[in-house]
Amino acid sequence: MSTIDELNDMRTKALTEIAAAGDGASLETVRVAYLGKKGELTAILRGLGSLSAQERPIVGKTSNEVRQELEAALDGRRRDLEHVELEAKVSADAVDVTLPGRGRVPGREHLIEMITRQVVEVFIGLGYRIVEGPQVELDYYNFTALNHPPAHPARAATDTFYVRDLEAGDARTTGESDVLLRTHTSPVQVRVMENEEPPIYVLAPGKVFRRDIADPSHLPQFTQVEGLVVDEGITFGDLKGTLDYFCKEMFGHDRKTRFRPHFFPFTEPSAEVDVSCGICGGDGCRFCKYTGWLEILGCGMVDPNVFGYVDIDTERFSGFAFGMGVERIAALKYNIPDLRMLVEGDMRFLRQF
Amino acid sequence: MRISLKWMKTLLDIDMSIDELKDRLDLTGTAVETVITIGEALDGVVVGQIVAKESHPDADKLWVTTVDVGSDALLTIVCGAQNFETGDKVPVATVGSTLPNGMEIKKAKLRGVVSMGMNCSAAELGMGSDQSGLLILPPDAPVGVPFAEYKDLTDTVLELEITPNRPDCLSVVGMAREMAAVLGTTFEIPSGFPDETGEPIADSLRVDILDPELCSRYTARLIRNVKIGPSPDWLVERIVALGQRPVNNVVDITNYVMFELGQPLHAFDAATLGRDSEGVSHIIVRRAGAGERLTTLDGQDRPLDPGMLIIADPNGPVGLAGVMGGENTEVSEETVDIILEAASFDQVVTSHTSRSLALISEASMRFERGVDPMGCIAAQNRAAQLMAEYCGGLVAPGLVDVCPEPIQDRSLELRRSRVNRMLGTQLPAQDIETVLRALGLGVEVHDGDDSFSVDIPSFRPDLTREIDLIEEVLRVWGMDRVPSTLPGGRERIGGLDSGQRWRERIAATMRAAGLNETITYAFVDPGDLGRLSWELDDGELLVELLNPMSEEQAVLRRTLAPGLLRAVSYNQRRGVENVHLYELGRVFSTSEGRKLPRERDVVAGLLAGRWHAPTWHDPRSKDKGVDAALRGPQLNFFDGKGIVEILLEDLGISRWSTRSADVPWLQPGRAAEIVVRGQSVGWLGEVHPRVLEQFEAQAPVVMFELQLAALIKAAVAIRPSTDVPRFPAISFDVALVVDEAVTAESVEQSLSKAGGKLLESVRLFDVYRGAGIPEGKKSLAFALSYRAEDRTLTDEEVRPAHDRAIRKVSASLGAELRS
Ligand SMILES: [Zn+2]
Repeated sequence: MSTIDELNDMRTKALTEIAAAGDGASLETVRVAYLGKKGELTAILRGLGSLSAQERPIVGKTSNEVRQELEAALDGRRRDLEHVELEAKVSADAVDVTLPGRGRVPGREHLIEMITRQVVEVFIGLGYRIVEGPQVELDYYNFTALNHPPAHPARAATDTFYVRDLEAGDARTTGESDVLLRTHTSPVQVRVMENEEPPIYVLAPGKVFRRDIADPSHLPQFTQVEGLVVDEGITFGDLKGTLDYFCKEMFGHDRKTRFRPHFFPFTEPSAEVDVSCGICGGDGCRFCKYTGWLEILGCGMVDPNVFGYVDIDTERFSGFAFGMGVERIAALKYNIPDLRMLVEGDMRFLRQF
Repeated sequence: MRISLKWMKTLLDIDMSIDELKDRLDLTGTAVETVITIGEALDGVVVGQIVAKESHPDADKLWVTTVDVGSDALLTIVCGAQNFETGDKVPVATVGSTLPNGMEIKKAKLRGVVSMGMNCSAAELGMGSDQSGLLILPPDAPVGVPFAEYKDLTDTVLELEITPNRPDCLSVVGMAREMAAVLGTTFEIPSGFPDETGEPIADSLRVDILDPELCSRYTARLIRNVKIGPSPDWLVERIVALGQRPVNNVVDITNYVMFELGQPLHAFDAATLGRDSEGVSHIIVRRAGAGERLTTLDGQDRPLDPGMLIIADPNGPVGLAGVMGGENTEVSEETVDIILEAASFDQVVTSHTSRSLALISEASMRFERGVDPMGCIAAQNRAAQLMAEYCGGLVAPGLVDVCPEPIQDRSLELRRSRVNRMLGTQLPAQDIETVLRALGLGVEVHDGDDSFSVDIPSFRPDLTREIDLIEEVLRVWGMDRVPSTLPGGRERIGGLDSGQRWRERIAATMRAAGLNETITYAFVDPGDLGRLSWELDDGELLVELLNPMSEEQAVLRRTLAPGLLRAVSYNQRRGVENVHLYELGRVFSTSEGRKLPRERDVVAGLLAGRWHAPTWHDPRSKDKGVDAALRGPQLNFFDGKGIVEILLEDLGISRWSTRSADVPWLQPGRAAEIVVRGQSVGWLGEVHPRVLEQFEAQAPVVMFELQLAALIKAAVAIRPSTDVPRFPAISFDVALVVDEAVTAESVEQSLSKAGGKLLESVRLFDVYRGAGIPEGKKSLAFALSYRAEDRTLTDEEVRPAHDRAIRKVSASLGAELRS
């Protein structure tokens, strides 16, 4: 049998074995058997020197052809096997995709802070700055400079928390004090007007305190947002336009507002602002007590007496102020059945917003 | 304040539906709080006639009546009343009706006899207090007609919210004036003048006002020979509609006129009033003396103080001025002559009297807000006339009128330009004038159309300034008609300031770290600091409330810790074990001599339990049992510290450290101060089990509290960029065995310092105690990473310097290299 015949037989046999190799290891065995250092083809190539000069180039050429052919077949088979193995591995890695995922759960913002921030954002858009004031206040800022008469009932110790005054000697013994927990954010108005010249466009969010027993609709500590504008030519129409815009941003563009004349000591004219009920659309339902309206704001033009306390010229400047209770907005927007949930720190409640 | 539409309609035309009326009142400043329909409650109550009356076979005091109610069949009704005869007409509540007191009428068996309804007394129908027997109707009452229709009882009562600036609206006439103005119609003022007879009052009564600043007017009339009895039905019906219980004709008339005209009246039994030395009845208006007492009409014996104004006779107090009369001079069945008081008492003193005695009456409520002193005379005349008519009284000629300071007429200037500038409107003079006149104000137009002189009647004490008139114009002309605009100011820039932006960022980082925001009360238990073993600084004091809601809320918080610990307890008691909270809140402290306390904002975080409930991801540990392993590791000091690290990194604060500290409320050895640039900015640690017990919370609880101002001051807003490395790093691990007392931070700092310029980072990756490590020592393993900016480092280049650094650190810390 000639060497060429030997080569051809070997090729046929090798290709068959390559095709039959079921995994990487047996394929390697086949490779070693033919192309390894001691492999059959290697042996033939090594034996080229002993061939005749006539036979040598033909056998050499054919050997190389066979070798290339086998290498290509080995590569092909290897790729096939790898593909099969990958497929098998991938299919073994399948998971139940309905199992819960894994992640660090971020915390939530408190509902009251979230609503406060939403209000703040609306007024920043209207060009307001955010200001704050002390929570422990003087009677002067909380009542007097806001045009409350000396005997105003809100001053009563049944309504307002008083704080021990460590400055005045006499007051300590009588237990009377003109230091108190602010009952509204309005004193910030006075502090701003004392310290700044108009134009003033400010919003003052913050905690306030009233001596109410905590129940589903009252908290002794709650949150207000106060707004104050003082500028030349400010009109009641500007107040209406501003709060119309706010209510639409806050409650939705399909909501209507209405202004009802009211009385507050530090604004005149004063109004309460209602927004149309979101549940019934204004037709009346249990939620809005069959009125179609929900009261959400108090407002008015800054009373000239208040300007008097801070030396602002009432002939040159006018202004408006407004205030809202954040807990009330929260209760209306999120249907909170009991305001006490807002201060209990129950994780199951806090995680909802 | 209640108004009856039926009564109101006797004074003005109201030509609209209740809804329209309600809207109009709401939109002009008189909020309608409730609408009550009277008479509807009597649905099913009809006029019936008793056609037969027989004794109940099994009950002595009951009657079995047969009643004709105009339907086909006669009704059998068992009845306990004794005041009726066969043929009487009575109101009958038929089966299915509900009485005003809530009683539902059902078919019922009474001692064996089936009763098909109920014959009613006046009290059962909500008409007065007479429950002595059936309400016997006149013989001409039409059988079968609904009772409410027959008695013309249907009425609509509006409950109004009258704002404090409008005392004039606290009467039927005042509201009629207001409604006429806002409805654009006219109204009638009821008035009356009595026929006078007998000796004039001047000879029988002397009045002295000793405190004229508290009583600007006192008037009195004398009515002789009154016959005390029930009031006429129409009068009872009107005062009942307004919420007043009928008493007798004299008292009912004083109440009626008060409702009608807004002037409180009081009737004294003239015979019981003390006399002066000349034998004349003597009324003295004065402050109460210390120690004086008065038993008021409600039977309460009340202590008086000199801050109260009283009506007295020479023997002592007979009434609380403007609040309530005294029992000693009360009108009774035996009363013959009465002295009728109509006066004007000071708002503040009435308020003081009423509030310090917790005694609020219809009168005090009106005086507290202000009563028109000009209204006294009209009220006297009206009441006297009614008493002559309905009590058979003889009205003595004249009245006593003590009015120390005559009441001045007032007028105000109003500029049209000012109205329009304030409102953003362009109202013509005509519109303004119309509104003012409708409100009963006198108007004179001058300066072309641009200015008005407005006369203010005495019933509008609230109108004292131009702005008050502008408000009236806006209110009545219509707020809804003012066009909405936005302010056009030019020098206006909105936004958060830098502190506010940092604050929001800190909150956002807390949430990103897994904490949920909460809000707790600013007032806390004074014992809380003791529970924490917290000691105040020298001279530092808690801020004390003088009138807390309870002892548990008597001081302002010095730290957020108590509130958050109570929140943990609240959650744990409800089975919520894993609690992750933060609060951005204010804390307070003060010191001697301070008026206002110091207020500081802090951020506090709290972790309790574990990060999450068991999940299928958690690794199992065969050693500890499936349950323990499933729950994952409990939170500890390092979970808290991790959050502080994230926060400080986010704020761009690089120079900070943790210093082991003695913090009384934290567990020793798991407590630290956070130090930024050498300054302590707060504390961090695991809360001491002893403290947790005080707050009824379960361990572990990790907390921190940091000063917001200090963080914001140290925060770096802009950090210039640095190049991202282009060449690979080379890293060596080293384990050093050191004394327990040596902190990881000090080893890390020594390595950083000794490592030379090429040392990029030092990362602790293992802390080991146990086999192979001597007692009292620990092994700290670090990865040191070296990198050059301009080339790839080789082992040969770095190794010698690394080894030198390790030898140096080992020597200085007494550390041994662990192989
Ligand atoms: Zn509704």
